[in-house]
Amino acid sequence: MDREKSEAAIQVTNMQTENRSSRSNYWLVLGVLLTLFSPEVLALEANEYRQFLGIDSRRLVWFLAQMHLFFGAFVLGVPLFAVIVEIVGWRNRDPKLDKLAYEFTSLLSVAYATTAALGGLLAFALFTLYPTFMGYMAGLFKDIMFLYALLFFAETFFLYLYYYGWNWLQGGLEFSRNLQWLFKGLGVAIILAGAVFLFGGFGLEMRGDTRSFIALLYILPLGVGLLILRDLKSSHIFIGILLNIAGTAIMQLANSWAGFMMSPAGVDEEGELIGTLWQVFENILATPVAIHRMLGNLAFGGLVAGAYAAVKFIGARTPAERAHYDWMGYIANFVAICGLIPLPFAGYYLGREVYSTSAVMGNNMMGGDFSWTFIIQAMLVGSLFLISNYYLWSGMTRIPGSERYYKYIKFILGALIISFAIWLTPHNLPLTSQEVGDMGGSQYHPTLKFMGLMPAKNAVVNLIILSTFFSFLLYRRGNKSEVVPISQQGRLPKVVISLAGLVAVAIVGQYAMGMLSLDPAELDLPADRAHYFRTVGYLLIFECVMAVLAVILALKDRGKLAQGLYMTVTALSVVLFLGVYGFVVMEKASPFLRNIAVSQFLQLISCIILVTAIDLYLFRGAKELGKLQWGKMTVRSQYALLLLTFVITMNMGLMGFIRSGLRGDWHIFGVMRDTSPWSYTPSNYTMTEMVSLAVLVFMVGVAFMFWLGGIAAQKKAPPSVPGTEPGQLTDQAGSQPASRTGD
Amino acid sequence: MRSSAILRVFVFMLVVLAAYLWVGQAITAMTGGERKAASVVEVTPEGGEAIFWGKGRCFTCHSLGGEGSAVRCPNLGQFGEKFPLAIGARAEQRAKERSDETGTHYSSTDYLVESLARPDAYLVEGYKNEMAIVYAPPISLNLTEIKAVIAYLQSQGGDLDLEGIENPGELAQTYYARIAAASAAGGGDPGNGEEMFVDTCSDCHTIQGEGGEVGPDLSSIGNKGLKFISESILRPARKITKGYETWVVVTESDERKHVGLKTEETSTEVEITKATGEVATIARDDIREIEQDEGASVMPDDLTEMLTVKDFQDVLAYLMMQKGEDGAEAETGK
Repeated sequence: MDREKSEAAIQVTNMQTENRSSRSNYWLVLGVLLTLFSPEVLALEANEYRQFLGIDSRRLVWFLAQMHLFFGAFVLGVPLFAVIVEIVGWRNRDPKLDKLAYEFTSLLSVAYATTAALGGLLAFALFTLYPTFMGYMAGLFKDIMFLYALLFFAETFFLYLYYYGWNWLQGGLEFSRNLQWLFKGLGVAIILAGAVFLFGGFGLEMRGDTRSFIALLYILPLGVGLLILRDLKSSHIFIGILLNIAGTAIMQLANSWAGFMMSPAGVDEEGELIGTLWQVFENILATPVAIHRMLGNLAFGGLVAGAYAAVKFIGARTPAERAHYDWMGYIANFVAICGLIPLPFAGYYLGREVYSTSAVMGNNMMGGDFSWTFIIQAMLVGSLFLISNYYLWSGMTRIPGSERYYKYIKFILGALIISFAIWLTPHNLPLTSQEVGDMGGSQYHPTLKFMGLMPAKNAVVNLIILSTFFSFLLYRRGNKSEVVPISQQGRLPKVVISLAGLVAVAIVGQYAMGMLSLDPAELDLPADRAHYFRTVGYLLIFECVMAVLAVILALKDRGKLAQGLYMTVTALSVVLFLGVYGFVVMEKASPFLRNIAVSQFLQLISCIILVTAIDLYLFRGAKELGKLQWGKMTVRSQYALLLLTFVITMNMGLMGFIRSGLRGDWHIFGVMRDTSPWSYTPSNYTMTEMVSLAVLVFMVGVAFMFWLGGIAAQKKAPPSVPGTEPGQLTDQAGSQPASRTGD
Repeated sequence: MRSSAILRVFVFMLVVLAAYLWVGQAITAMTGGERKAASVVEVTPEGGEAIFWGKGRCFTCHSLGGEGSAVRCPNLGQFGEKFPLAIGARAEQRAKERSDETGTHYSSTDYLVESLARPDAYLVEGYKNEMAIVYAPPISLNLTEIKAVIAYLQSQGGDLDLEGIENPGELAQTYYARIAAASAAGGGDPGNGEEMFVDTCSDCHTIQGEGGEVGPDLSSIGNKGLKFISESILRPARKITKGYETWVVVTESDERKHVGLKTEETSTEVEITKATGEVATIARDDIREIEQDEGASVMPDDLTEMLTVKDFQDVLAYLMMQKGEDGAEAETGK
């Protein structure tokens, strides 16, 4: 609810049509004027609150902010999705992927206008209902808010160019050699500068996460975009990259306001600016929230696109339509999973930084007002993974040859259900005296109490991710017969696999070194607890050795063995050993527990990187047992896809409630108190009511936009992409999408 | 597209949302509704109960017997073998332990006040020193609210002593002074403020005989009030203590500029102590120019960049407690 509040100041944007554009400009002017006349000293005045028609102001702002955020996530997530799909289509010379990207971009235009209108409404609500608070925020952030407004112009420009220039920039007209070299040179220079920046060559005064965010999401894509510039189509992709950079920057700026409200920096206890604007901007939680939101937006964009495909599939009249929308749903789900897998880790990092900001806030999050909200969150996130797996397994029915792998599904399902159950287990429940008596007088269940503790939960969340990854590997090799020896595939696979191994060793190895040299005093622990760190350090070194062994085996054409070995060792280490060892650490060296969680994450992510790299080449060009039969999916699987979208949307609303509610009775934590009549933490039921209402309105709104987009598409000819006629689609779809996007 | 498909999907969504609402409703029915921050003016167990389960956030770390679900910090009720006595009765035992350990007499009120004012003074075995400073943001309990919580805790199996809470002995009074000083400073944590001071300020400033001598002794700085201290940190050049003016000396021989305090002056030499602690002794014959810079302070001007809001409040709270020999810090016996 905080980003929402602050975002309001100038939340205005561009649109598809001139009418929409003029409407958004009105909101922009309003926002700028409100910003201009907002002095900083308002922070020192008593807070003023107003109401509109007697409505609870907080609920009104909550609803508007949630709606704005849903649409905002959609218009930030879908371009990410569209450009990724376009790039894959361009690299694989696949016109259908290009068409898919275009189809989603066309949906974006209407949503963009709605996002802007909602942003304006939210700005109005905030400035009129919370004048003191918003006056202070606008005064403090006025420079950033102006930049925010300018970025909207940039995003509008790039979106217009990206959407309307699709046909115009389809051609293969190549730039002159000199121009190509110029772009390449610029690209290389920017990438090198980004790498130097990333590794601390300059900008060391920044937080590491902010530096990484800027390097990886702005500088690197810009450099890569320039590097690939050689013709009209690559120019179009470059515009798409610029569109995403502008969108990401808008999000990051708005997140700095949300972060500031939770972890203010650069101001004194009365809110007066005593530091620099950069300090205010780069507060502790700004970047962790931005990272989490970025991944969330990617998953959300993918799943909303998936829901679109599912609805179209359910209502399809011909096999060709079913095939097209089945394939579209698959691609959307694939992109969503790519965002979902690292999301729990980003959430963990955000949670850790919340604790760093304030132990009180952290305790309130996990053990206070929001502990039960987190149980609901666990239900939703667990469902996301379970349903994603179900969708993948359903998808295997359209892959001839995948029957060979059905036997594994029951084990994966078992692992997921057990993990899910453990993840959901609360540490204790409010009990009657009778129930306490039945449990031997203890407040906690003799066995299940262990399942409610962090070591158990950390272990199972890793197992859930590993199981999902395993499902995906099975899906990918569904119709492939035998592996293709890597030694016969030239130099590239050897380089890629070796590099992936190097990355895995670097990720795990650097942390191992940290563990071996960690001084117990740094964690307020006595010297005799050092052996707990060393144990983990040696375990990580063993993991590095296994990574090297996996690379050697893969290069010696034993790729399957390499994957199996590395995944098994990782599962045993992360889930079994560290899962149990976590309890020991919790008892003997509790502050070290967070390092256990980090080491689990690093091993898992390294495993995913290396195993994926091996898998990329293991079945490359392998003989197929049959063509993929797009459209041969159950309707049930499409409801699963829809359910995924509903669940992620509900979860976004829930997490927004937690993040905002953590401030308790503070507008700005520790600086400006919330003295309004609504200064209390609402119940979980109130939360589900508000979120359900927002989800319902958002989904109806999105459906309406899709319908509008459909009408427009009927009137307009699609981009002239060869090979996309409906008749051709069924045949071709069967042969390519999985192997090109999944591979 | 068939309209029946849209309808089916819409109904499906309503079912999902209904399930979500049911979960929210069921959990709320089990765990309670909205949490309002109580505002208490009376020192009574009822007032303390409202603070314990509300504004004070005590329940996020402590359970009370079967009430609550937190396990991070000791259960304050009668609970299992580890806690055979509720905190009211337990405090009387602990008071004896503390009396034996420190040689100072503790009443149960003293023990409870100390637990809230300086939670690190006594740690229950098996638990970490991680209790929040309840009179610092974001909890920011005032002295009355803290007294109410003590009354509530005393009422848990112990003898409620409201008179003892309002007019306690010397030890508890010292802690009350500490809480009051911290509250006056915006509710900072003086313990953390001391650490910040040692890390950031003590190279130049002395408190109670410890620290550097480049800047003024701050052992009595608390007497000058919050505004003066706050200004001195944020805008050090605005009001400079006499004797700590900044001097600029330019030498004839190598044209070097020395900026710092004039710590010694004879007929033949001038001694300049720089902010780094480095001392430059300059012969008068070698001085080309010497003048006082009224717009500058030797104190670093980037302190605001080094301090977060919380750090600043903590340092303020610590400095507010420095009231010389008779000040609050001396009284704590630290």
